[in-house]
Amino acid sequence: MSALDLDRRNLAGAVSITRAFRITLERDLMLAFRRKGDFVNPFVFFVIVVSLFPLAVSPESVFLSRIAPGVIWITALLAAMLSLDSMYRADFEDGSLETLLLSPHPLYFLVLAKNCAHWLVSGLPVVLISPFLAIMLSYPSDQLIILLISLLLGTPFLTLVGSIAVALTVGLGSRGLILAVIVLPMCVPILVFGTLAVNAGLTGLPVEGYLALMGAMLVAAFSLAPLASAAALRISVA
Amino acid sequence: MWVWFAKLGSPKWFYEISGRWLPWMSGAMVLSIGFATVWALLFLPPDYQQGYTSRILVVHVAVAGTSLAFFPLMAVAGAITLVWKMKLADMVAKNAAPIGAWFSFLTLATGSLWGSVTWGTWWEWSDSRLVSMLFQFFLMIGVISLRSALDDNDQSARACALLAILGCINVVVIKYSVEWWNTLHQPASAVTIGGGDVNGPEFWVVTLLMILGVYLFMGISLILSTRNEILEREKNAVWVQEIANDS
Repeated sequence: MSALDLDRRNLAGAVSITRAFRITLERDLMLAFRRKGDFVNPFVFFVIVVSLFPLAVSPESVFLSRIAPGVIWITALLAAMLSLDSMYRADFEDGSLETLLLSPHPLYFLVLAKNCAHWLVSGLPVVLISPFLAIMLSYPSDQLIILLISLLLGTPFLTLVGSIAVALTVGLGSRGLILAVIVLPMCVPILVFGTLAVNAGLTGLPVEGYLALMGAMLVAAFSLAPLASAAALRISVA
Repeated sequence: MWVWFAKLGSPKWFYEISGRWLPWMSGAMVLSIGFATVWALLFLPPDYQQGYTSRILVVHVAVAGTSLAFFPLMAVAGAITLVWKMKLADMVAKNAAPIGAWFSFLTLATGSLWGSVTWGTWWEWSDSRLVSMLFQFFLMIGVISLRSALDDNDQSARACALLAILGCINVVVIKYSVEWWNTLHQPASAVTIGGGDVNGPEFWVVTLLMILGVYLFMGISLILSTRNEILEREKNAVWVQEIANDS
């Protein structure tokens, strides 16, 4: 065993994985609160785009209540995609991403911590504001809970899967559109089940099956996507 | 087995062996596509429901079947690139993406032409095959644009390998997630030979011939573009310069 390996083992012993996870999470959250534009802008984007739909499509409440789930889901997807861009970029530019890769801890947990921070900052506000926007789109208020659950299960999936694409493109100078081309097709399955669940609720059909499938997809993404993100980061930063 | 595998990784060996395969493959392709086209266009009897439109299916089924092979091919080549860092696998994966995108597009175009007559609609969102083929096309474009955005050959090779593996998984997931809707597309029926056969032998023999021809076409275009890529990347190698001096 080389001296470097011994060194890394000692370092890993000094800080436990849970502590490393917590430190990374706290660091990202603190950075987000210091640089508020990063998480306020996607949220404002979400609110503005949703409120454009009645103006562009039709202000009739019957029509709006039918398209409301789709509008909210697609806008949440676009907002998530826009905010994803900032997940690794600043860290890549100032070199702290390289430090993260050199850490003796498994990259899986560190990436997961960054993903959790990203969701707390950009996914959760979107989920919390969505009931108000849904009511503005004449969505029946007794169905709000299903919309809320579907978004709660869906937005972390968007963060976890989107993280892979961001990690793949982190080294590129201009990547706004290429990120969209890669991320959007990957989010189709969760979008399909999210809107299926909400629409089933609207027509009075059982929704538990769809929500259970979304939960299963979230668990799968939770356990596998950070591995792919970590591999992608190693490729991009190497 | 491993000697053969290591040999396959050598661009020079592949260049030489594929040069010997090409004439045979081209001959077989011309024969099978030519024969199947003439048969399908001039002699295939009209379907009792679809009329002459069923002749489009001969091409559509062949192109669709072939286009499904691209993502698994790119994923396997990608896995080989990631694990063994084999240059040849990456060259194949790189050239498979644009060809695969074209095949996906052709599948959509021929299917849509056939659907416009038989189903009475050019496009049907509730059908899982149409939607998953459309997203396979989008995912292919994602791989191509990632490849063109990254300059560094080794880095872009590994990044695209990872994306191809994810895309391959994704196509399957998309397919099954859209299948929850009612499906308009009939189950595959071209080559069921047993009881309850909907198509007569005159239909599936010509379709099989067309599938063979289109697969050969895919193989030939892949080999030709890979050979081009080999010459491009190995242009400083002695054996490539010998070829250049000979010609």
